Amino acid sequence: MIYLDNSATTRTLTAAAEAARQYMDENFFNPAAAYAPAVESERAVNGARARLADAMHAGADEIIFTSGGTESNNMAIRGSLGAMRGRGRIIMSAVEHPSVFEVMRNLSAEYNVVEAGVDKEGRVDLGGLSQLITPNTRLVSIMQVNNETGAVNDIPAIYKLVKRMAPGALLHVDGVQGFLKVPFDARNCDFYTISGHKFHGPKGVGALFVRKGTRFLGGQIGGGQEHNLRSGTTNTPGIMGMDAALQYYLANQQAIWQNMRACKVRLAGNLLSLPDVFLNGPAPESGAPHILNLSFLGVRGEVLLHALEEKRIYVSTGSACSAHKKGKNRILNAMGVTGERQEGAIRFSFSAFNTPAEMDEAASAIAELLGMLRRFKRR
Amino acid sequence: MEQILLVRYGEIHLKGLNRPFFERKLIEGINNALRGFGATVRREQGRIYVHGVSEDRIEDACDALTRVFGVHSISPAVAVEKDWDAIVDAAARLTEQAAGGQAKTFKVYARRSDKRFPMNSEAISRELGHALLQRFANLKVDVHAPEIKVCVEIREQAFIYADEIMGAGGMPTGTAGRAALLISGGIDSPVAGYLMAKRGLVLSAVHFYSYPYTSARARDKVVTLTRLVSRYAGPIRLHLVPFTEIQLAIYEKCPPKETTVLMRRLMMRIAEQIAQKDGALALITGEALGQVASQTLESLCVTDDAVNMPVFRPLIGFDKEEIVSIAKRIGTFETSILPYEDCCTVFVPQHPVTKPEVEKLRESEAMVDFTPMVEAALVRTELLLVDGV
Repeated sequence: MIYLDNSATTRTLTAAAEAARQYMDENFFNPAAAYAPAVESERAVNGARARLADAMHAGADEIIFTSGGTESNNMAIRGSLGAMRGRGRIIMSAVEHPSVFEVMRNLSAEYNVVEAGVDKEGRVDLGGLSQLITPNTRLVSIMQVNNETGAVNDIPAIYKLVKRMAPGALLHVDGVQGFLKVPFDARNCDFYTISGHKFHGPKGVGALFVRKGTRFLGGQIGGGQEHNLRSGTTNTPGIMGMDAALQYYLANQQAIWQNMRACKVRLAGNLLSLPDVFLNGPAPESGAPHILNLSFLGVRGEVLLHALEEKRIYVSTGSACSAHKKGKNRILNAMGVTGERQEGAIRFSFSAFNTPAEMDEAASAIAELLGMLRRFKRR
Repeated sequence: MEQILLVRYGEIHLKGLNRPFFERKLIEGINNALRGFGATVRREQGRIYVHGVSEDRIEDACDALTRVFGVHSISPAVAVEKDWDAIVDAAARLTEQAAGGQAKTFKVYARRSDKRFPMNSEAISRELGHALLQRFANLKVDVHAPEIKVCVEIREQAFIYADEIMGAGGMPTGTAGRAALLISGGIDSPVAGYLMAKRGLVLSAVHFYSYPYTSARARDKVVTLTRLVSRYAGPIRLHLVPFTEIQLAIYEKCPPKETTVLMRRLMMRIAEQIAQKDGALALITGEALGQVASQTLESLCVTDDAVNMPVFRPLIGFDKEEIVSIAKRIGTFETSILPYEDCCTVFVPQHPVTKPEVEKLRESEAMVDFTPMVEAALVRTELLLVDGV
């Protein structure tokens, strides 16, 4: 198997699975309980919280554990706006994930929802954004890394811009694709979303960074866990599993980055030498190290995907949520990738476990399949 | 006092000497639908009685029976001794429960099949109505439009019930032999299968897939649709036929305008061979006249020319809306509209021929020797036994 869909999810690290197992089995206690073994669990969770905070230059009291990216994004947007007085403008980039995009659109009755355009690589256009930020802007939500193309947004510059033009506005950054993959400092935003299963942690766990002092309502209400901002029994297996993955990633970060970049450059080099293959997004040497998007003219991405699947090579035609709507890939549309270029688009995403040899094998499989599939173009 | 289900059947009454066969098949169908309910099914004097279903599962059992072909209607009933006080008590309980206790008017329907019972139907209606009026001060009789019906039947026991739930109708499954349904994953073919199964046919189903042009999800969808149809039709033998090689050969070697109708001919050829192996005597398709280019009269003639078996097209005279409304009623619509099907668009010609001629199509088909491809597809065909009950 050659797995090249690591932006959809990654294989859970054995150490992460083992940590999760340990907190389901011998350390199963509810950290909110009063006896010593439960206090032990609470300490473990707080240790994980501190390590996660360190990884983004935040304080432990600024981290809220959640069920993952979607919940963190929902909570950041609704929890921040809910704590503000008055309405106004809210801004997002045109290529946000549905867990931002749909939440914002849902608020369009109460707020003036505005989309900031992106350049042809998928990066937010700062000039355009500066024209959109009005003094009554309440919230800006921009993803750190474009999940289709790997384009990296200049978050420090965006943060400065937002604070300069609308001092009262908050900046939320969706870091689901970016966290640990590209450098990040939480001092450049007010909210930051992460998701554990994108960096070899378990599914169903993530976190939201909330800058200290930010007025924030939080999410679900109940037993008062997570500083009373996100109630629900603490997901110790998920949190400790994510923590194990985080520690592995931090210990090997440079090597992982180099490996992913090497894979990306190699696969791009192999494939871009074939006829009628085009790059969507930044040059392979730049952008995030783990995402590569290419268009194969004369073949539908979906068909190529299934043909590769027969060879146990797994890729994506775009973020799973938009994969079924033909010609309606909102993200590629926003980048101006349309028509045949959009239909033939494939996203490859890499992890610590991919190898350059796999890239050669995948590329030659694709070259062979293109020869066959391109014979049968729609007439 | 016992909770039972009273099952009535319709068209079978018209049968003559082979009526016991139809009744036996109906009981088989009922037993199959009620697997796991711990029910005992008994036939007596033109009625079927279901005993032994626990009270909390009566509604589910009743629902299962509405999917059994040959059932005209079902009534959840209370069975009591043919004792007047017991009958009145049961009727009073029923009246109390019916319409959430809110009903203002009622009517008693009595039927005495056991003529040894001392009161005739008229007397039962009158006396039971009187007894209920005495017990419920707010209740009035309305013989024209009662809010609740209190039905009493005096047979080997006395049965008291309020509702008559309509069944699926049709003929019992397995009374008409076997036919093979060509199932695509769209709205029409499951409905066609349902309608023919309703006339007593047992189904085989044949699905053609074109990996990598169609996905594993498209295949799952067909399995799900087959399972939904089998809730009515009983177990279905589903054959999954790999069709890519044939489609590509048609695309490369035959006239572009004719690809769709040629594809249909080859599908029919393969389906016929599978049908023969399954002991099926006919094919079933979901075609409706004029719906698309491959469903014009000329196209249908060309398709039929590829096979010797009769081809049943129960939807031939239906509008799309009519088909959709049946699909919604039998619960296949939501699955049919899942968006996995249009993966085959690469093979759809821009301007398909709408009035193909048999001779010409035979010639086009002869341009390629499809026989080895058909044989290879048959060898690689998978069989799934799908049972949705």
